[in-house]
Amino acid sequence: MSELAPIITLQNAGICYRPLRSLFTKNKKEIWALRNLNLTFYEGEKLGILGRNGCGKSTLMRVLAGIYELDEGRITFHKKNLHVELLSLGVGFESNLTGRENAVLNGMLMGKSRQYMLERLDSIHEFSGLGDFFDYPVYTYSSGMNVRLGFSVAMETDPDILLVDEVLGVGDKIFHEKSSRALKEKFTGNRTVVLISHQPANLKSLCTRAVWLERGAILAQGDPGEVSKFYEENIHAYTK
Amino acid sequence: MLFQTLKRYADIVFYRTIAGIKSEGRQRYLGYLWFLLEPLLSTAVFYIAYSQITGRGGRDAVLLILIGMLLWQWFEGSISVGAGSIKTKFHVLNQCNLPKYIFPLVSIAVHTWKFLCVSVVFFTLASILGFPPNIYWLYLPLLFVVQLLLIISIALPISIGVTLWADLQIVISSIFRLFFFISGIFFEVKQVPESVREYFFWNPMAVLIDSGRSIILRNEAPSLQRLGITIVITACFLVFSFALHARYDKRILKLTNV
Repeated sequence: MSELAPIITLQNAGICYRPLRSLFTKNKKEIWALRNLNLTFYEGEKLGILGRNGCGKSTLMRVLAGIYELDEGRITFHKKNLHVELLSLGVGFESNLTGRENAVLNGMLMGKSRQYMLERLDSIHEFSGLGDFFDYPVYTYSSGMNVRLGFSVAMETDPDILLVDEVLGVGDKIFHEKSSRALKEKFTGNRTVVLISHQPANLKSLCTRAVWLERGAILAQGDPGEVSKFYEENIHAYTK
Repeated sequence: MLFQTLKRYADIVFYRTIAGIKSEGRQRYLGYLWFLLEPLLSTAVFYIAYSQITGRGGRDAVLLILIGMLLWQWFEGSISVGAGSIKTKFHVLNQCNLPKYIFPLVSIAVHTWKFLCVSVVFFTLASILGFPPNIYWLYLPLLFVVQLLLIISIALPISIGVTLWADLQIVISSIFRLFFFISGIFFEVKQVPESVREYFFWNPMAVLIDSGRSIILRNEAPSLQRLGITIVITACFLVFSFALHARYDKRILKLTNV
């Protein structure tokens, strides 16, 4: 691990949600989704994140993607102009527009230029397997076709750091195989990938390091095999 | 890099605007025609009410109300849709790292486009009814730019406000109703009592509507002094709204429960 260069460092990071109050509820709770989190991401590594629901996994992803600002602590990006992107499927599709139009608009939301997306339309069309439907409005799509399009677009946006939140394959059997193969390919290159998964098998096969997140801080980290074993053995102690 | 990023944001606004216009056009049977029919319909309603109450009708009244209605609908439509768009695009903003002013700007641009479409029809109508273009029409682009900036400068702070406190939405719709009645949409400045006329012109929309009328109907230059004050007010609002967005951009999503 020592030869890898750090790419993002979190020091004592904390994120707090403050839900809206109403005159008639005395909800003054502050929810700290992350607290005192110290974690370094290294260039080119594939980091797996484990943890039960509500432990701060998705919040951590949003911090890395630059959507949230830390309430406490510091985040350091060791490279300038890093493109960090959360893998999302079909977010912001306009139902009255065609698949083709939505593919371009969606890619632009995910950090790519219009020109970049236009050049990749053919491969998106081909990968999605939507055929003629690619030029139909999205409201005519089934939900499966929707994720096909979303996934195909997401595969073409090539970020420096890819954040994957539990989506490892989508759609029917055929597309599921195709999409999970394509996504797993993203783990083979030099790209830095952060993966949230509840499947120890995936962590073991895809990741080079794993972290167990609990109540917004790190409980264990190290080899994916060991961490997921430790997680499975001790998870019940923390769910009481 | 900063330039590239801004270029991408500008592209997002531009192409989302085109998408929004297309999308609206495909929603209804009459499609794009509604861009023209909607303001004409509401003008007809006000014209009927106005001519019955005041006993004054005819082409002057129609054009008077049209100018007021077109400018007002552009203003109110942009702001009410634009201000809610952080909330309606919450799921997108939660996934993609985008500045929160992008979607309000898209809604404003869509409404601006609609306004420009209907204003072409209006200019034609005015020419036919005996108010052909005059030299003062050269002021119109200035007028439109000022109103566009005014709209942006009001919609952006409200977009943050209504996301943080939904209560504000209710208060704001009442304030809009108030301004609808005091901006001189269906009456003229000369019908405003002398004693309150100075206060009347503190309202930027009243200034803009009256300027439009003096250019098109009265064939004279708008009051540059009042327009100047409006520009200064707008500039202050603009600075404030971008400062507010800079402050809340990365934290607003954590503070709301949409």
